[in-house]
Amino acid sequence: MITIENLTKYYGKNRAVNNISFTINDNEILGFLGPNGAGKSTTMNMIAGYLPMTDGKVTIFGSDITKDPVKAKLNMGYLPEIPPVYPEMKVTEYLSFCAGIKRIPLGKRKEEIARVMSLLKIEDVKGKLIRNLSKGYRQRVGFAQALLGDPKFIILDEPTVGLDPNQVVEVRKLIKSLKKDHCVIFSSHILSEVSEVCDRVVIINKGDIRAIDTIENLESRFSTSLSLHIKVKGQKSKVASIIETTDGIKEILSIDDEGSEIYSFTVQLDGNADEIQDKLMNELIKNHIRIMEIFTEKPNLESVFIELINKPVQKSKLSDLLDEIVPEDESSADDDSEADDDEKEDN
Amino acid sequence: MFSIYKKELQSFFYTPFAYALTALFMLLFTYMFASPIAKLESTNTLMFSFTEIFYDIIMFFIFLIPIITMRTFADERKLGTEVLLMSSPLNVAKIVLGKFFANVTVFLFMIAGSALFPIITEMNGEVVVSQLICAYIGFFSWGTMFIALGMLISSFTESAIIAAIIGEFVMFVDLFLDDISRSAFVSQYPKLQSLLTAFAAQPRFAYFSQGFIRLSDLVFFASAIIVLLCWTYISIERRRWNRG
Repeated sequence: MITIENLTKYYGKNRAVNNISFTINDNEILGFLGPNGAGKSTTMNMIAGYLPMTDGKVTIFGSDITKDPVKAKLNMGYLPEIPPVYPEMKVTEYLSFCAGIKRIPLGKRKEEIARVMSLLKIEDVKGKLIRNLSKGYRQRVGFAQALLGDPKFIILDEPTVGLDPNQVVEVRKLIKSLKKDHCVIFSSHILSEVSEVCDRVVIINKGDIRAIDTIENLESRFSTSLSLHIKVKGQKSKVASIIETTDGIKEILSIDDEGSEIYSFTVQLDGNADEIQDKLMNELIKNHIRIMEIFTEKPNLESVFIELINKPVQKSKLSDLLDEIVPEDESSADDDSEADDDEKEDN
Repeated sequence: MFSIYKKELQSFFYTPFAYALTALFMLLFTYMFASPIAKLESTNTLMFSFTEIFYDIIMFFIFLIPIITMRTFADERKLGTEVLLMSSPLNVAKIVLGKFFANVTVFLFMIAGSALFPIITEMNGEVVVSQLICAYIGFFSWGTMFIALGMLISSFTESAIIAAIIGEFVMFVDLFLDDISRSAFVSQYPKLQSLLTAFAAQPRFAYFSQGFIRLSDLVFFASAIIVLLCWTYISIERRRWNRG
């Protein structure tokens, strides 16, 4: 298990990561999401031991990355945002160098290099100079070095960037297959990819964690913002008034005229989607309005992500903060003085 | 550490880089060696000193050392490969030492070619071997110290070209530090003068070239190398902490 506790990073006076804590369980793929500049790469660099942290602790299978970096890093493979490759080296030379710095025994290196090249399907370019490879191949070579030595903890910072659609599918399959006996932290801008690959997600913005949960839980937590689409044939004003008067409908978001008295309504719901949909259908049928299409749009990771990112951080009230810092003695003294004042007023 | 050493050597020798530098060095050495022979007017016995050749060649050599060292750390940062090294089980000290020894090996490769001239001379005349060895030890010590200095400068920047230019300048100043310390202006300040004299490498090399091996000079070069390598280590760690 990987534990990240109260991780904080300051660049001068600028706070890039603010006291974040989470864990990555064994056999789990954890998605790490956030907009550009959220602190994702900084966090990943700190977990990988590349950037020192201002405060906090990262423990990789019981080894502290600061106190016992060698042991911690021996169990770790890292693919940073820009694949760390040497253009003047051939693919096999590069992987052999990486195997060397990862302390893979000399006798096992050839076999290990062949294994990762086969996993990433880069055998056909093994004799080529990295500078002559396409972006996709460079990315895969970078990924291959992260898997060298079969580390149990793998950090992947946008691993599918620069790959063509076929390669993306293959790499996703590979990441999913890693789950069997690894723990993986995986960042991506492609939310559908995260939904497909990850078990849980951490959403981060401006250095603060906004949510940590499974995708299903996040989607259900935000189910209050469900919207319903309905296409009907009938009088627009009549349909609108039926929709507005139905219980559980929050507001009509849009009405599209599709011609021949056919209208598409998008409405926001406030309650159980199935019940509201049934009620609305009954009302429309009672009023002899022909329903051509009706469906509820469930919140997906994308809508959850947008909502969480745009939601302002909840700050403690000033009075709450003051309560926390006023010492007990002082507060009892205040109580006494208040009591004295009361007595004076009584007199 | 050996993996870093090997990779650095590969990056020198898999490109025309090391060969071009060695060819340039040999060209300079050949010129220095051949010019007194070309100037010979009679059939008298020609006497010349290899140590003088080394002494004269230093002036040109300060332009070659920063070219060896300029990419050492600057390129790692520029290519984004620094993260690979720092997230590996290697520690920074091993990275610095691996790169240092690789640069020293390239330097040795360059000066090894110059041994050809004493060998040819020995075949046709006589060489004072002890003095020649002294000159080689002095030249190697001096060059190794400047390699450590070049690596330090490379750790300050992301641009290999800027590292080379600053390196040339600093080494040029060091070469003339003794002359500067003896100038009329500096003479007015005895403390400054003694400080500059203490840091000047050139007069120490002069002793080697005259066939003297002084323990104080060896200690000077060794301690300068250690200080510069430690400074490089601190510079890399400091950049990691301040990296934005």
